[in-house]
Amino acid sequence: MKIPIKSIRKMIIILLFIFFIMNNLMMTSAKSEIERDISCFHCHSTEVEQFQMSVHSTNISCIDCHGGDMTVKGSLVSIDAMSRNFTGIPSRTNITNLCSSCHSKTVDLYKDSIHWNKLTSGRENAPSCLDCHGAHNILSYKDPRSVTYFEKVPQLCAYCHEDQTKMQAWYYGIETDRFDTYKNSYHYKAIKLGGKEKSFATCPDCHENHDTKNESDPGSAINSANLVNTCEKQGCHSAQKALIYGGKVHEGQSVYLPTTKIDLKALVTYFYIAMIIFELSFTFGLIAMGIYSQVDIKKRH
Amino acid sequence: MSELQFKRFTLNQRIQHIIFFATFILLAYTGFPLKFPDEWWSRWMIASVGGFDNRTFIHHASGLIMLGVSIYHAVYHLILEKPRYDVLFNFQDVKDFWQQILYSLKISDEHPRFGRYTWKQKFEYFGGGFGAVIMGFTGMLMLNPFESMKYLPIGFVQIANLFHTWEAVLASIAIFIGHFYDEHFGKFPNLSWLTGNISEEEMKQEHILEYETVIADYKDNNKNIIRDNPGLEGLDNAIRHRLIIALSKTIFTIFFLVVCLWMLWISYSTLMEAVTLYVI
Repeated sequence: MKIPIKSIRKMIIILLFIFFIMNNLMMTSAKSEIERDISCFHCHSTEVEQFQMSVHSTNISCIDCHGGDMTVKGSLVSIDAMSRNFTGIPSRTNITNLCSSCHSKTVDLYKDSIHWNKLTSGRENAPSCLDCHGAHNILSYKDPRSVTYFEKVPQLCAYCHEDQTKMQAWYYGIETDRFDTYKNSYHYKAIKLGGKEKSFATCPDCHENHDTKNESDPGSAINSANLVNTCEKQGCHSAQKALIYGGKVHEGQSVYLPTTKIDLKALVTYFYIAMIIFELSFTFGLIAMGIYSQVDIKKRH
Repeated sequence: MSELQFKRFTLNQRIQHIIFFATFILLAYTGFPLKFPDEWWSRWMIASVGGFDNRTFIHHASGLIMLGVSIYHAVYHLILEKPRYDVLFNFQDVKDFWQQILYSLKISDEHPRFGRYTWKQKFEYFGGGFGAVIMGFTGMLMLNPFESMKYLPIGFVQIANLFHTWEAVLASIAIFIGHFYDEHFGKFPNLSWLTGNISEEEMKQEHILEYETVIADYKDNNKNIIRDNPGLEGLDNAIRHRLIIALSKTIFTIFFLVVCLWMLWISYSTLMEAVTLYVI
């Protein structure tokens, strides 16, 4: 069968036409979205673009956090936009005031936490709202692209809590192996492999989202007095079960041979390291010898 | 084909073997992803059995079935049947092992003369037995961790986990590399696990002592040499078609090499993890 050249040409022309129309439509819609923030967009294009993708883009605009006036449009350098009550970049402590104008309950919880406590007592690197949630690109925690999505939360916490220099700069005593030890737990494995409708525990499920506290704090969710309630929370483990084991979760418990200082876990590991090395070399050695013995087998018999 | 067939496995043993290896494969398939949750293949493997909950169910169910078969095996061959002693190790095995090494290195031209069970088969049999005991015991401890923590500190459950993982790696290397190479890749297509019989040629080569006693017994008492399951003979002949053998051997070789690489990767990463944790 032969396809006439004329109909191919027609098709190409129609396709090009459709393409141009679509292109035009998309360009205009993008334009009208940006128009609202035209004065900021001149210079801060990345920030504005990030902001337009965020969960806040429908409710608030630049001036709600940064001050200034957006009514002046179109000028290349929008000085006026910055002249009225313009605040620029809010400080790490001041950001809580901005967030609390809408999220007052959450900010109150956060101000109860060890993070806020450290931030106000001179540790400038302690996390504030935007260290976890991002500044312009804030997304709902239910959004899989969000950094606060439950699957990504362990990495988010580990960004600081795995960093030895950061942890030591603040004060001694924070372990940096928390993410690694969490990785060994069933909770992490189940999440990674898509378990039970994705309801397994990540960091904030035990340590709380905003009012994270030190273990020794009696109000802390991981204080030994509150541990059973924490495990029972959201119906994860019944109180009966939680009572059976109300100990430290991250720390492995060593079992020593009676009357010695020999760790049974290390002993098992040494034994199996030797066994596996022996087995691998034995198996492959025999396979290699078997192949070698088959070479020129006819000459031998 | 009118060649002699020698009975190697009874129907009971064949069914035990099939249940054992089916559950073994399922256990390895649903178990190793849990050890390496971050790898790309883990997610793929879990998705292929229909999610994490199915994984847990399959792992637990096949573990219990394997435990049942192991207990049945011990009860059947020790109590219900007269226990046989030729499966136990003896000094001849050491001699055979040494002779096999001499033969393989072309120092001696004399092939070792094996009885019904070679030293390697005995190793695999008892390795599998001890493996089933360790895996079954530690698995039962971890089946309901909160129940076992009523009686034991959590440290023991963690040690059970350690044993379970290591023994799984050890057993999988033994089965997927050693056993597959010796019994299925080297003797391809070895259908004795289905028919229960082995050929006269194989009998002479691998179990010459048993061959001699069986033939002598046959001549002395005029007994029949058993031809088990004549119904499966058609399958046996059909599968010996050259094209089918070539095709299935290619597929099996690819499968074998992939599993070998997978096992090597797993043993390498578990070893590295252990060395960084406990040695350095």
